[in-house]
Amino acid sequence: MRPSFGRERSAVAVAFLIGSTAFLSMPADALTEVEKLRAELAAAKDQLSQTQDELGATRAALDSLTKRVDAMEAAPPPPQAPPAPPPAPVAVAPAPMAETTARILPVNADNPAISFVVDTELSSDTQDSWESIGYANGVNFSLQNAELFISAPIDPFLRGYASINGSSDHGFDVEEAALVTTSLPWNLTVKGGRFFADFGRLPHWHDEALPFVNRPPSIDRIIGGESQAEGAEISWLAPIEHFVQFTYGVYNTVGADNTDDVNSNGFFGRRDWSDLNMLGRVQTYFDLTDTWNLEVGGSWLGVPHSSDRNLWGTDVTFRHQPGTQGFYQGLVWGTEWLWNREKFTERDDTGAVIGETRDHRNGGYTYAEAFFGRRFSAGVRFDYSQSPDDGKDTANTISPFITWQPSEFQRLRFQFDDTWGDEQTNQRFTLQWTAFIGSHSHGFAQR
Amino acid sequence: MASHSARHWIFGCILTLGLAVAGPAAATLRVVASTPDVADITAQIGGDRVSVTTIAEGTQDPHKVPVKPSFVTKLNRADALVVQGLGLEHAFVPALSEAARNANILPGAPGYIDASLYVKPLEVPSSQNRTQGELHPLGNPHFNLDPEQGRLMARAIAEGLERVDPPGAESYRAGLAKFNQKLDQRIPELARIAAPLRGVKAVSYHQDLIYLANRYGIDLVGTIEDKPGIPPTPGHLEDLLATMQREKVQLVIHEISYDPSVGDNLAERTGAHVATISSMAGGLGKPGYLDSIQANLEALVAAVRAASPS
Repeated sequence: MRPSFGRERSAVAVAFLIGSTAFLSMPADALTEVEKLRAELAAAKDQLSQTQDELGATRAALDSLTKRVDAMEAAPPPPQAPPAPPPAPVAVAPAPMAETTARILPVNADNPAISFVVDTELSSDTQDSWESIGYANGVNFSLQNAELFISAPIDPFLRGYASINGSSDHGFDVEEAALVTTSLPWNLTVKGGRFFADFGRLPHWHDEALPFVNRPPSIDRIIGGESQAEGAEISWLAPIEHFVQFTYGVYNTVGADNTDDVNSNGFFGRRDWSDLNMLGRVQTYFDLTDTWNLEVGGSWLGVPHSSDRNLWGTDVTFRHQPGTQGFYQGLVWGTEWLWNREKFTERDDTGAVIGETRDHRNGGYTYAEAFFGRRFSAGVRFDYSQSPDDGKDTANTISPFITWQPSEFQRLRFQFDDTWGDEQTNQRFTLQWTAFIGSHSHGFAQR
Repeated sequence: MASHSARHWIFGCILTLGLAVAGPAAATLRVVASTPDVADITAQIGGDRVSVTTIAEGTQDPHKVPVKPSFVTKLNRADALVVQGLGLEHAFVPALSEAARNANILPGAPGYIDASLYVKPLEVPSSQNRTQGELHPLGNPHFNLDPEQGRLMARAIAEGLERVDPPGAESYRAGLAKFNQKLDQRIPELARIAAPLRGVKAVSYHQDLIYLANRYGIDLVGTIEDKPGIPPTPGHLEDLLATMQREKVQLVIHEISYDPSVGDNLAERTGAHVATISSMAGGLGKPGYLDSIQANLEALVAAVRAASPS
């Protein structure tokens, strides 16, 4: 609103008129007084003039402001600028180059990584007895596996890991405790200690990593459970575009439950260098298409003297990995076949050799597993095996299974095993519940 | 015994043959990139000095990329490994790196280039408690969906390439400047495209959109997953449905690597519209980093316009 100056001007004019009237109405003898008043009037005039000047300056300033306001009101609105982005949720680091090459976890995740697996199950057998591939327990709750897994780099040249297990059947055991080199030249890696020897595919997988509730019976019978061994391995990755890996190993014996091949002089005898088990393996991989791939491996395990044993194995794995969109999310078809050639010696009560047989026993499994909706998978496994020391003891098992993972760290699996053979018959239902505490991974070998 | 000696000789010959077929190193820097986003940025900065191989594909869930042995050999021969970082690649890079026998690309080594180095992470969990789902301890790793973060990613990548290949420093700095210039041109354009997204209420399948939402003003009111990495339970979906109806959610954002059926159902029941985006470059058929972001924004805007036709 524009201010008014009429009131001030009127007041000055009235004052001036009153003063003039008073001066004209004075008698002549009052001249001195008149002069005095005249001086006062002059001072008042000066003051009035000064006030008018100040009022004028103020009016000019106000007029200028008024014009600017009017101009702004009359002007069209400025064009709408695109909405400014909110402050970036980032902080640009100072200019110098980073002193580190990677973010490091704030927790002590790498030194060492610790995890614990609880693998428990409820099973029910229809038969009271079951021959050499297992024992029927009727209805049975069991701790299949409780595994404490620790791994860490030791220095720039070495890493170590250990797997300490407990179970209802085997008690506590150091399943693995091994050292692995990390920076040998020429793509070489050396492993030493107690570990799962690199034979085949599933023989060196930990129980909780298997796609089934149990290890295939053929592996249990011919290798003796997982390929646990004490010894040393050297492996070499061919430095070419195509994946080819070779492994050579020397061990006391191979197979967690294997009591054969201890030495050449009987169970309590002395082990010679020539009694050591030796292993060779080659594996390769092909990307058949963008989504189909094939992995092939061949293994040999030799026990030179005690039983002149040669165990050959081949494993083939097809995978369909179309990505993770949609309900169907992939397929795995895995097959492994073992040929065992072994000398068995018959002795009399005095320990004298009375005869030798050289037996050929075979076994293996094949399975297919399909993955659905990120959390489900279902499959079926068929297994055939001969007992290494009894060719008439054959077993066939067909095992459909279904798995549900409520999260990445928990799994429920149901499996039905129907076993039949010359000396085997059983049906078993198993519900397995597995959970992982901590950062659990056995790495590339058990992918 | 002679037969075993022969076997040893065979092994020795195979080893020698393998060493012999290992060819000389190529002239260009061999870089393996974990995701298409960092691969594209690396290629733009590195130019002719680098050859880039990508592990993950744009349509895949970055948390579940298959561990293929063919990547082991690529990592074995790599001069550098570029990762997006913040644990995004935890499902595949550690396992592949362990098998690759290349100490120069392990975390902390010069050839390990972490593109998240200068990014300020959001949604950093206050505790490493798995009751809150499959959390990333270092914070939400899906910062690549915000193009402003591309500037920071590019800086870390350029510095990493310079570290691995000092003679190429000038080239990498020029590549970085060129990439930043491109960002300067494209980011305002992307902001104009995304203008209709400001204030739009949305739900996504996974908790991976915080950087994108902050940049363009999308109001995220929930996720279809109960918690990160945990599939939705019926109870959670009922709660989410009520929230969507109460908040008048317009947009259901379906990341292409997840099952669309639940999001479709929620959209149908609430009247929201579904937009399919990709959390990695290439998922929508646009392999370039910025092109992929633009494709995401265009998909989101199209769904918003369908939800509220003018």
